[in-house]
Amino acid sequence: MTFFSPSRIWVITANTFTQLVRMKVFYFLIAFAILCAGLNLLEFDTGATETSEQKLRSVKSLSFFIIRSFSIVFAIAATAILIPKDIEERTLYTILCKPVPRLDYLTGKFLGVFLLMSVAIAAMSLLLNGIIHYHTVAAMVEETARFHTAGASEQTIALRMQELSRYGVTWSLQYASLAILMEATLIAGVALLISTFSSSTLFTIVSTVVIFFIGHFQADAREYYLSKQSLGESGGTTYLTQLVAILFPDLQLFGVSDGLLKGKTISLAQMGQLALTMLLQCGMYLALSWFAFRKKEF
Amino acid sequence: MNAVDIRNLSKTFKSSLRAKPLLAVRDVSLQIPEGQVYGLIGPNGSGKSTTMKALLGLLAPTSGSCHVFGHDSLKVDSRKDIGFLPENPYFHKHLTGEETVRFFGKLCGLRGKILKEKTKEMLDLVSLTAAKDRRLGGYSKGMLQRIGLAQALVQDPRLIVLDEPTAGVDPIGSREIRDLILSFKERGMTVFLCSHLLEQVQEVCDTVGIIFQGELVNQGSIEELTSIEEQTEFILENASEALLHQITELVKSSSDATILRTGKPKTTLERLFIETARSRNH
Repeated sequence: MTFFSPSRIWVITANTFTQLVRMKVFYFLIAFAILCAGLNLLEFDTGATETSEQKLRSVKSLSFFIIRSFSIVFAIAATAILIPKDIEERTLYTILCKPVPRLDYLTGKFLGVFLLMSVAIAAMSLLLNGIIHYHTVAAMVEETARFHTAGASEQTIALRMQELSRYGVTWSLQYASLAILMEATLIAGVALLISTFSSSTLFTIVSTVVIFFIGHFQADAREYYLSKQSLGESGGTTYLTQLVAILFPDLQLFGVSDGLLKGKTISLAQMGQLALTMLLQCGMYLALSWFAFRKKEF
Repeated sequence: MNAVDIRNLSKTFKSSLRAKPLLAVRDVSLQIPEGQVYGLIGPNGSGKSTTMKALLGLLAPTSGSCHVFGHDSLKVDSRKDIGFLPENPYFHKHLTGEETVRFFGKLCGLRGKILKEKTKEMLDLVSLTAAKDRRLGGYSKGMLQRIGLAQALVQDPRLIVLDEPTAGVDPIGSREIRDLILSFKERGMTVFLCSHLLEQVQEVCDTVGIIFQGELVNQGSIEELTSIEEQTEFILENASEALLHQITELVKSSSDATILRTGKPKTTLERLFIETARSRNH
């Protein structure tokens, strides 16, 4: 009997994925598409005095905000209901009465949510790429016409087009979507950990939302703690910030889409670092979840 | 080796700070030899489910131990040989009957052709082949009970643990489940049955344990527990009035024996219902 079986984990992952799909969670993608299209149209109607770059930045900003919000809400809600639902409906009894180690069960559930989020974020990103591409082409056509009217040379127009294309569909845009997936995965890990010892779904959701907000201040707490430590100072605030820095995830790291909106490019190395951070932290949350769940009685 | 070996099992549930801890099971010991059908009976809240959950590793004993075919029930290994049907089983409603059996088969390590054949065999066994493509959300209580049996049996376990297997099932379904339990016994499987339906337990079990307020108060074979040593029963067919009179007189002439009751034996309401239903179906 193996303690950790990838094939058994895959069975639970696939079942969780099917369960969530058949709960019709993908219907929210329709809401996303309508919201995105509607808000983008509205943005363009009101932004008549903006430059093409500003318009494209506004489209991206709004779309990333929506993708990120949907992903975080989805990660928290989907993960928070999984285990309590299995306990409430007693489906957990029948699963754990088969030769299934609890670590396999938790990992399978977590990967099921991850798989579903990957598909959802990929679909949303595809739509985002379509919208950005549409607006970039429209901006290029508009700028070309304007430059021709002003009698600009072909070389000037080509340079301008090159400049505009940096705001269009790029690798950095895909990396930003990937970073959103990583952030949502990390939050799902936190929700999984809380759901293993929480007594209600509401508590899990509220606690995870609080941790999500704390996660955006974790870097500040860490900086504060490190600066105090270098000065040899200690005290209540220092200990508190140290605790925050150790226990909570640094979600500011995953806000690469903010940098993208400011015109920064995202490198593959940066994404590698993010992926490593996410894997280590998710591994830690999964290990803690298993620790809390391994002797849980039903 | 015993299929089930529970020794001095006690389980206390800690409650809130003010309330006293609840002693759900106290010093329960029972052994089930391989191939036997054991029935644990007792009123609601007597500790049947706690004993069963400890055997399945869903609860850790406060003291004592539970072993299944020599394996500690807290270890995952012990569950390779167990098939469990919970009371009022709820499975993932989004899955069809066939997907459910396949899912549990896969969890037990079955794959490919073997899984396919086993799924078909189980669905046939519980008479759900016609409903295999329907989602469990649309199954009746009896059908859920039967799909529960199918998933419990999918990996050919040596021990079947059944918690109130006929709860909410109509008399015909109940009879079918009882027949299945008897067929498990014929196939050499060990059955651990928890129920408060005494008649059902009496019909299928070799050994019975009576649990009351967390304590196993009586245990033994059905024969031992239900026989009234000082009484004798014989049922005659086609006996004439004269013969019956002769017997009565003979007993009266005896100094020790007394006739307590005579009359026509009665069929059970359950048997009457099943016979009526069958005759209507034909």
